[in-house]
Amino acid sequence: MEQRWANTSRLTINEKQFIEEALRSEIRVDGRRLYDYRRLTIKFGRYRCLPRATILSCKCYHLRFSLFCCNCREDGSSEVQLGETHVMAFVTGQLLQPYRDRPNEGTLAIFTEFSPMADPSFEPGRPGEAAIELGRVIDRGLRESRAVDMESLCVVAGKSVWAIRVDLHIIDNGGNLIDAANIAALAALSTFRRPECSVGGDDNQEIIVHDPEVRDPIPLTIHHFPIAVTFAFFHEGNTLVIDPHYKEEAVSGVRMTVTVNSNGDVCAIQKAGGEGILSGDVMRCLRIASLKASEMTTKIKEAVETYNAEVALKKVKRHPSLIAQKITVPDVEMKEASFQKTKELSADMENSPNQTSTSLTTTKDKDTNASIGRPLNWDPYSSSAPAIVSSSTLPELVGTSKDANEDQMMQTDEEYDPNLKKDQIASATGVSSGIHKQNSPPKSLKDAVKPKHKRKKNAERGAR
Amino acid sequence: MEDRTDGRNANQLRPLGCSRNILNRAHGSARWSQGNTIVLAAVYGPKSGTKKGENPEKASFEVIWKPKTGQIGKQEREYEMILKRTLQSICLVNVHPNTTTSVIVQVVGDDGSLLPCAINASCAALVDAGIPMKHLAVSISCGLMEEGSIILDLTKSEEEKLKAFAYLVFPNSPLSVIDKVHSSKEEPIEHGIITSVSYGAMPVSGYFDCLERGRAASAAISEFLRRSLQKQSSDDASRAAQ
Repeated sequence: MEQRWANTSRLTINEKQFIEEALRSEIRVDGRRLYDYRRLTIKFGRYRCLPRATILSCKCYHLRFSLFCCNCREDGSSEVQLGETHVMAFVTGQLLQPYRDRPNEGTLAIFTEFSPMADPSFEPGRPGEAAIELGRVIDRGLRESRAVDMESLCVVAGKSVWAIRVDLHIIDNGGNLIDAANIAALAALSTFRRPECSVGGDDNQEIIVHDPEVRDPIPLTIHHFPIAVTFAFFHEGNTLVIDPHYKEEAVSGVRMTVTVNSNGDVCAIQKAGGEGILSGDVMRCLRIASLKASEMTTKIKEAVETYNAEVALKKVKRHPSLIAQKITVPDVEMKEASFQKTKELSADMENSPNQTSTSLTTTKDKDTNASIGRPLNWDPYSSSAPAIVSSSTLPELVGTSKDANEDQMMQTDEEYDPNLKKDQIASATGVSSGIHKQNSPPKSLKDAVKPKHKRKKNAERGAR
Repeated sequence: MEDRTDGRNANQLRPLGCSRNILNRAHGSARWSQGNTIVLAAVYGPKSGTKKGENPEKASFEVIWKPKTGQIGKQEREYEMILKRTLQSICLVNVHPNTTTSVIVQVVGDDGSLLPCAINASCAALVDAGIPMKHLAVSISCGLMEEGSIILDLTKSEEEKLKAFAYLVFPNSPLSVIDKVHSSKEEPIEHGIITSVSYGAMPVSGYFDCLERGRAASAAISEFLRRSLQKQSSDDASRAAQ
């Protein structure tokens, strides 16, 4: 029964001949040119939950440290899509004993999972040849080329170091798994943050791992980005393509993976079996690969930068909400002010994009649902209305609220209206605090707005 | 009633998200998220032959559970078994006898209610693959607080703090073109229960309260599931042929 399934990845003779013939005219299965990569999308984990710390006492080394569960924070997870290939990477860290011959270096381990969902021929259980080969190539590229700084991961030499573990899950096999998995590992390592720890305590032997809420976690030091570029050869080495599709992989007899970085250093070369390639062709591949590597490095770095900027934004907005929640306001006056404010805001909902962020607040209050449909008599002098939000935060909210809309298209939940939408947007963009600032303590902000509002209203009445 | 850590009230669910047809090679795939708990499920359609211990006169299911990190242990095996039995009871097993359908579940994020999320994801993935089913299954987690109140859709921290909670799976009433002609005395199909996994000790009355509340919530989830499944029409031909 299993054999039938394994055979589904074998191509028919017609398909094989078609692919080979088309390549003679430099035409590929999906319309790319010979040296083109497929479209690359890098996404990072955006889910967060409250971290937990448990106290663990380890008698043998007289160390008492709190083991922090790193796997639910947003750091260290990436999802890479290279055309049809889909790979996820998760990075976690733990404090462990170092290896005997390297007492002052941390460790990096890469685990590869060829999930049976990626390909009907992938079997669960023991990893096959391809899985082991992929793991080794990425390991050589990342670890043995010293891309990640190991010595900074040492906490107490000889006793306790950070052991970083990278789990690669292949979700969808569209070909060229090595390149995609390498990018995923690099992206995840770039965004991984380990908690800060210091040595202290009574006998200077205790390791204290600080809560990430208290002290910002630290990123890993990555010296260079080794990028894997896979080549597939056809027609006895006369035609070579980059980033082979899984159908091209099945047709070609020879494959070679070259791991280079943007400095031009060769980190690893893998050519396992198959027909021989001329050494001139190998040199040509190296030159092409170094060009591709610099392109890929910029793409990864851009994606990481964008993500880090989002995370930093989230951190900035957090503090005001924590303070604002403590203020309470009497209800009666508040309702009136909120009603008027939201009527004004809804008048300008279509006019200015700046209001999109505040329009989200209107959906939160229960009494605004009625106000949006009514005819609006207010003179839209509402340039004064968003005085609640400082000018610096508004444009940022605009950018992220657009993301919220895009994500909401994916999430089709319409139940449990007002409160749930808030959570939805919050979890979608991760800019929860920014919107919380306007929603969850609406009392405090409206309290601030109230006097201005009444003044304007009186001024307008006085003018008429 | 004390507030929950994420500000929800007792009957509030986390935001649900469902997207189908996300993988290219798998015959059916779905991604289901409840707050921070995200599960990816993929289905490979019926392939001929059954495993050794299975009944060859019926279709059999094979479930593979992949955790986010770490080794596969007993917990994963238990989830696989529960998922397999649940799916076997909702699918029409006599349509394709002597076949095996594989369901692969990948945990992307775990913030409590992992098994309900996985069941919902698998159900959506089976629909995406076109496996014949009697009805859909919707799953919810219910927790019992000390004073006897019920909270729905537990997060990981809530699961650890609570004394007792349960994962419940209810059937979804099938929509039919034919009007229901049988008498109203007959219990509607949603009142049945497919699977129930309980953790911790709870009084009998507490368990029945959980059932009531869970059933009410499952109506909302099944609405959401039905709507999201109807939205994305399956425009591609059978991928099992490729």
